[in-house]
Amino acid sequence: MPATLGKRKRVTREELASPSSGSQESGGEDLRALFRRAFEAKFKPVDIEPVKKKSRQVEVEEEDEEEDSDWSGISSEDADGVEVVEHAGTRWDNNDKASKAETRAFMSAKPPTLSASATPKPAAKPADDAIEISHLKNDVELQSLLRESTLLSTHAPTYSTRTSAAPTRSKLTDAHLQSLGAKSSIFAQKKMPMSHRKGIEAKGMLREGKRRAEAKENGIVLEREKKERKVVGKRERGIGGPNVGRFKGGTLTLSRKDVASITRDGGGGGRGRGKGKRGKR
Amino acid sequence: MADENIQKPLQFEGHRHLTTRLLLATLTGRPIRISKIRPSSTRPGLTPYETNFIRLLDSITNGAQIQFSMTGTTLVYRPGLITGSAEGLGAMGGVVRHEIPKECSRRGVSWWLIPLALLAPFSKGAVNVVLHGEGCITAATTAGDVSVDTVRTAILPLYKNFGIERNIELRVLKRSCAPSQGRGAGGEVQLVFGHQVRLPKTLHLMNKGRVKRIRGVAYAVGVSGSNNQRMIETARGVLNKFVPDTYIFSDVSSASLIPTYSKTEPNSKTKGAVGFGLSLVAESSTNCLYSADVASPPQGGTTPEDIGKQCAYQLLEKISHGGCVEVTAADTILMLMAMGTEDVGRVCLGREVLGSESVVQLGRDVRVFTGVAWGFRGKGGDDEEDEIVVSVVGRGVGNVGRKIG
Repeated sequence: MPATLGKRKRVTREELASPSSGSQESGGEDLRALFRRAFEAKFKPVDIEPVKKKSRQVEVEEEDEEEDSDWSGISSEDADGVEVVEHAGTRWDNNDKASKAETRAFMSAKPPTLSASATPKPAAKPADDAIEISHLKNDVELQSLLRESTLLSTHAPTYSTRTSAAPTRSKLTDAHLQSLGAKSSIFAQKKMPMSHRKGIEAKGMLREGKRRAEAKENGIVLEREKKERKVVGKRERGIGGPNVGRFKGGTLTLSRKDVASITRDGGGGGRGRGKGKRGKR
Repeated sequence: MADENIQKPLQFEGHRHLTTRLLLATLTGRPIRISKIRPSSTRPGLTPYETNFIRLLDSITNGAQIQFSMTGTTLVYRPGLITGSAEGLGAMGGVVRHEIPKECSRRGVSWWLIPLALLAPFSKGAVNVVLHGEGCITAATTAGDVSVDTVRTAILPLYKNFGIERNIELRVLKRSCAPSQGRGAGGEVQLVFGHQVRLPKTLHLMNKGRVKRIRGVAYAVGVSGSNNQRMIETARGVLNKFVPDTYIFSDVSSASLIPTYSKTEPNSKTKGAVGFGLSLVAESSTNCLYSADVASPPQGGTTPEDIGKQCAYQLLEKISHGGCVEVTAADTILMLMAMGTEDVGRVCLGREVLGSESVVQLGRDVRVFTGVAWGFRGKGGDDEEDEIVVSVVGRGVGNVGRKIG
């Protein structure tokens, strides 16, 4: 078999059938001869009779040929006609996708920051640590207990009320919900006369103002005041009014916002400009 | 009017190194006169892409004077102030849109971009330029221009060494490859350079470190994305043996459509040039960058495997040249050093890089413009590598516009 580099020949049946094919044998013979010559160059020649090969395999091949001779479809040359030609030497699986962060770092418009993408991988936590789990559980218990302690002290002396007395229980639920992020208390009354609501709000404001004033006098720094912004929705317009701007006294007045909205849409600026705007932010 | 302090222009000859000379003239404020521009050629004078670059220079500066001779073989350039994309001086909405027409398609857009990025830190305001048109080739070209990806990943990060790092972006809005004869490319690139400095910091880059990772971008424009995979696979086959941390990103885009402006069919468009290419960047442990860039030729006929292998070998060759700066980035680094603080900066260059024609001529030109020559000495380390330390004294003037404004 001639040595063909880069091509993988199909193994024929004959080669598979014979335990040691002729070519391998001859190669082995050559090697042995080479080694022997090298050995003999250094030391004395050794008298070893070359091991006789069994001549059985020749017979086998002859038999095969006889069997094949009946069928004259494809010659044996064509049997290994499929040649696999590989251009690339080795294959790298492309399954290992780059992480999203790395793609963003390298493929965005910005020049990639030097050696930034060496992000430390989050260490795997030993999740099945029983002690840790129990600690966490106790922690949660303690937190809830602390939260509820104010209720306990004012309303009922013993801890058993936690499950029995209804008002306390709902208060506990309320506290729990608020700690989980509820928007308002479940006790917040939805409906009430307007005057009551106003009164309650006014009183609340007064109390808050008093607290702040006192704190200021005493030099205590309080949390920052939350300013509530009035949400101005879209005003209902009458029929026949203009789609854009204000029509008053026979003149249509366009605000700067209106103008911007018109020019931005109508210009049809195109892709490039839109992208430019996005990046500028 | 300004005759009282008119400077005599510096004299140069020949068409070579036109961009570096124009850059040095603009940065130092010295007028230049370049004569004998291709005097014996059948097409004497400046080429379309050279005049186009002068146009770009004109649009981001204010008060520049440019004079050509009748045949175009002589050019007199009196630089103005680098204003960047200031409103009212050619910029629309803070963006200068610069068209590169079809005649200029012999050079890649990096030929415009690299000098433009060099001017940008010394500008008065932010530089925001969109380069577009039928001659705008974002891929690497056979003329030796690198691709836009290499500019972004291998040249722009180097500005960080000089303290210029904020607000720099290079967006590839439309990709394109080198077109065959008589066809358009139709790419579009936007350079945003919003970090202006008075003086770049002094650079001391002596240790090149060892290459720790290789990144790259494989781009296919208007052809199948499988070309990218084939390029990536071959390139990784070569490079993974040396650096296991090798990853090449793939970017597939369609060919851009160029309007034909014909009277019979006003809405007809033709496809821009198609092709594929690979840009590789190797980063060392001391943040030195080496890049390689190969793209398919306009006439086609090369397999992606060839491109991938060629690019990988090119990268290995660049790394083997040694030094902290490779040849495509050497001009940028050395020019920024020459424009830096009045202090001696040092950079270690490989012998091959320093001996390249562009670097040698840059050294001579810098001496003509600033009157200060560079110093060379062997690195003299224990390792027997051919590296030379170049000491560059900064000019110490820096950004004139920033100083006043």
